Amino acid sequence: MNNIIGIVNYGIAGNIHSVKKAIEQAGGNTLVVNKPSDFDLIDKLVIPGVGSFKDAMQVLEYDNFISPLQEFNKPILGICLGMQIMADLGFEFGKTKGLGLIDAEVKPILCDGKIPHMGFNRINIKTPNILLDGVENEEFYFMHSYEMVNYTNIAALTKYNNHSFVSAIHKGNLYGVQFHPEKSREAGIKLLSNFIKLKE
Amino acid sequence: MTRLIAKLDVKPPYVVKPVHFEGLRKIGNPSELAKKYYDQGADELFYIDIVSSLYQREILFDGIEKVANELFIPFAAGGGVKSIDDFSKMFHMGADKVVINTHAIQENPDIIDKAAKIFGSQAVVVNIEAKRWKSNWECYTDCGRIQSQKDVLDWVKEAEQRGAGEILLQSVDMDGRCRGFDTELASEVVSITGVPVVVSSGAGSLKDIKELIEIASPSGVAIASLLHYDRENIQSIKKYLNNKNDSVT
Repeated sequence: MNNIIGIVNYGIAGNIHSVKKAIEQAGGNTLVVNKPSDFDLIDKLVIPGVGSFKDAMQVLEYDNFISPLQEFNKPILGICLGMQIMADLGFEFGKTKGLGLIDAEVKPILCDGKIPHMGFNRINIKTPNILLDGVENEEFYFMHSYEMVNYTNIAALTKYNNHSFVSAIHKGNLYGVQFHPEKSREAGIKLLSNFIKLKE
Repeated sequence: MTRLIAKLDVKPPYVVKPVHFEGLRKIGNPSELAKKYYDQGADELFYIDIVSSLYQREILFDGIEKVANELFIPFAAGGGVKSIDDFSKMFHMGADKVVINTHAIQENPDIIDKAAKIFGSQAVVVNIEAKRWKSNWECYTDCGRIQSQKDVLDWVKEAEQRGAGEILLQSVDMDGRCRGFDTELASEVVSITGVPVVVSSGAGSLKDIKELIEIASPSGVAIASLLHYDRENIQSIKKYLNNKNDSVT
């Protein structure tokens, strides 16, 4: 296989620029996925994320991306909102159905600290996986007001103002990170290179 | 964990440094400086085209893309943003956050609500150019030139309600002087808002930064002159703060 990493292009926000650049820096070949038939050309998929849960789902539906995403049987990495929309339900600007790939809901972060949670923070690995190999003690950049509430697929937790939230998930071929590897210096590039090297 | 942010004030094609938002001095090339501060360990980078609103011209997106290409850290860009389309273009050029001031104050504060709804609050930074007026502070626009008659504290609360995810707080009085921050302004703003506040304008020494963090606990400190003139670098600042203040990493 050619190991082409697809990046879903959705929404007018789309920070695919930085995600593409970071994957290429990590040694990967990328293809921007603009239409459902592009899914046939790729070996792995990254769902980037900037925007709100509701808008993201609306755009994915409009572009007919929902079933190709749900049926993609190869490794997927969701970043930030890209991880969040894998959940069943989101509560940003009303209640919105997600892709339903992970048994989870996405709710506002409830803690005393300033929200959005923005800045570099550590991850505390709960269940090691290949994606997080070699980045145990690194810091990653977070930029979010919502968190994924999940109890069954937690790969890592992060603490913000004494509040613990899910910062990475893993379920079979599905990987998700709440932070932005493409904005996390060498540690982020390392994580992306782990994803590139991942075997199905 | 106070974020240390390098701030580039840009008058394309150069990074410049105004004093009190006036009297521009040419510092260097934006993408070279971005790379330099990235290599030094900056947590983030802010890029503000400081003359775009003032000259009422289109945003020069090329320069923004060139800077974004140098970085694997968060990048906020602004200057002359007037529409949702401008926000969108900024993101496509590689910005993670977009900074807005003049248009939101003078013409259309609703753009904050709209941008937050589409791009998420975390991507919308409201830039405040505060100038002391009697015992309060007034918001200025167009790079510290035009009075708005809006009270800074009122505007901070309004911006937060509208969905701003971060405040960039600059002081027209202190900017570029390197004589310390307006810590009173910073404390007031940090205490009345639930969103992160990045404080800028005034860092002249390591002590100034430490003092600001101790007094106001901002989420971030944005630094320009101190770095531009190589008086300090991000590493030396981080090292100093780590030794002196356990809350900073």
